[in-house]
Amino acid sequence: MEDSSQILDSRIWMAPPFTFNKGCRICIQAESGGGKSSLLSFIYGNRDDYQGEIFFDKENIRNLNISQWCDIRRNSIALLPQDMGLFPELTTIENIQLKNRLTNYKSTVEIDEMLNLLGILEKKHVPTRKMSIGQQQRVAIVRSLCQPFDFLFLDEPVSHLDETNNIIVARLVEREASLKNSGIISTSVGNPLLLDNAEFINL
Amino acid sequence: MKKIGLNTLLKKNLSKGQLLGFSIANLIGLTVILSGILFYCDSRHHRQTTDKYFSDDYLVVSKEVKGINLNPVAFTEEEIDDISSQPWVKKLGEFTPAEYSVSASINMGGKGMSSYLFFESVPDEFFDVVPRDWNFDPENKFVPIVINKDYLALYNFGFALPQGLPQLSEEMIGSVPLKLSINGKNGTLEMFDANVVGFSSRLNTIAVPQDFMNWANNKFSGDKQPEISRLIIKVDRLNSNNYEKYLADHGLEIAGDKEGDSKVSEFLGLVSGVVAAIGLVIALLALFILLLSIFLLLQKSRPMLRNLILLGYSPSQPAKYYISLVLKINAIITLLSVGFTFVCRLIWHNTLISLGLGDGNVLFMIGAALLYFIIITLINIIVIRRHLFSIWKTN
Repeated sequence: MEDSSQILDSRIWMAPPFTFNKGCRICIQAESGGGKSSLLSFIYGNRDDYQGEIFFDKENIRNLNISQWCDIRRNSIALLPQDMGLFPELTTIENIQLKNRLTNYKSTVEIDEMLNLLGILEKKHVPTRKMSIGQQQRVAIVRSLCQPFDFLFLDEPVSHLDETNNIIVARLVEREASLKNSGIISTSVGNPLLLDNAEFINL
Repeated sequence: MKKIGLNTLLKKNLSKGQLLGFSIANLIGLTVILSGILFYCDSRHHRQTTDKYFSDDYLVVSKEVKGINLNPVAFTEEEIDDISSQPWVKKLGEFTPAEYSVSASINMGGKGMSSYLFFESVPDEFFDVVPRDWNFDPENKFVPIVINKDYLALYNFGFALPQGLPQLSEEMIGSVPLKLSINGKNGTLEMFDANVVGFSSRLNTIAVPQDFMNWANNKFSGDKQPEISRLIIKVDRLNSNNYEKYLADHGLEIAGDKEGDSKVSEFLGLVSGVVAAIGLVIALLALFILLLSIFLLLQKSRPMLRNLILLGYSPSQPAKYYISLVLKINAIITLLSVGFTFVCRLIWHNTLISLGLGDGNVLFMIGAALLYFIIITLINIIVIRRHLFSIWKTN
């Protein structure tokens, strides 16, 4: 996460008001330090040091309380943070189940299918600290999909993946998002998630 | 099912060394506090048989006799009322003297012996020993007697040996039948059976039941009201500093020298105070170690807890785990401390028993342990919850 004083000067603040609609496919592109992650943190409710207002439908998110935020994070908004937020001492499946037990959204079979799709099924019982960044990134992607969501925020999701894996990830998230006509908003600094029909916003 | 994954993660992030350090410090601290409290209770607890080291609780007071007094020195009602109203007086009882003369005779191993005696009585509540059947029925003509322990010692070690008489135990004296002859001032003479039924270390007299004294004074001296020349006072320990000056100012004397005895009780009180104070300091330090451990643990786990919250966990979910953890630790520590305190009691138990003390009520100590458990757990819960909710927002 960038330092607050840096992002105050960044270009994200000059952007006009914009709206994310359900079913959108958006890729926000900006240089490093451009405030992309900060924007996602603001929307996800773990930072509130911003000027201006953010609304979910008509609700100003500054008014949401802790239990409302917990509910949103379990049922409405999924986030893949840039630092992935994995627990290095836990295995792949433990990391994923930590989220899935909260939501009871995916069956073990479905989880295995996703792991298999991303080529990390054999790492299921390996602590994530022993895995490469690229593998960790894929674990975090699977974990972020273990909940119902209206919007999926992916912060540089494929920064450590090659193009083949990029496309596999893109298809997986597209498939999951289409289940509920959900929106996907991803960010990148030059290696964007290769979604079809993505609208690019350059900051 | 939901909790298992979370608890595994939280457990992996615990620092067992810190928790162990806290537990040991707290265990020692609590054990020392509880030992102090239990020692205090034990050292304040007078067992029934004797109260040698605490006889200063009671004072026997009389007026000073100067030169030769033909009229007996006695207290007036005003004087008694004045003493009663003093702050250091908890209870006041009057010695009722006999208004008749008594002589007792015994038959010991063929040797007859007879002696003039005197009787006094005090209300039963001032007795350190109240023997069974401590009453008088005119039909029976039997008088129970309590004498001072020192009298028996005087007889055994001062009188019996040079006179070639046998030394006697308390039990033996109790089994010797006495014949009393009471000679009234109005000329009546009457015989009674009597027995020594008990020995008092508090009452420096030959005591008979109050109802016998009232009956006998009435019968043998007619209308004459006995004059009160000695008082027994139960001293309020908290205000006991003032009584010496009052007694000196009013020309009153205390029977026997009770100075040394009060020092013993002061010393025991001081010891338990010091022990409890040291325990309190250790326990306070242990509390700080615990708070510090919790802070360190939560601080170290901050990124992990923050990731959990980002996953949609409420801060109260990990809080529940930490709270149940400290609850368990504190419960174990409290139970162990109570156990160790009973072990520590063995150190002083025999010594106090030999002083006529010990075996105090343990409920106070256990109550203190419970109170400590509740307070320390509440503090823990507050700290954990505050800290976890402070992680919610980190701008």
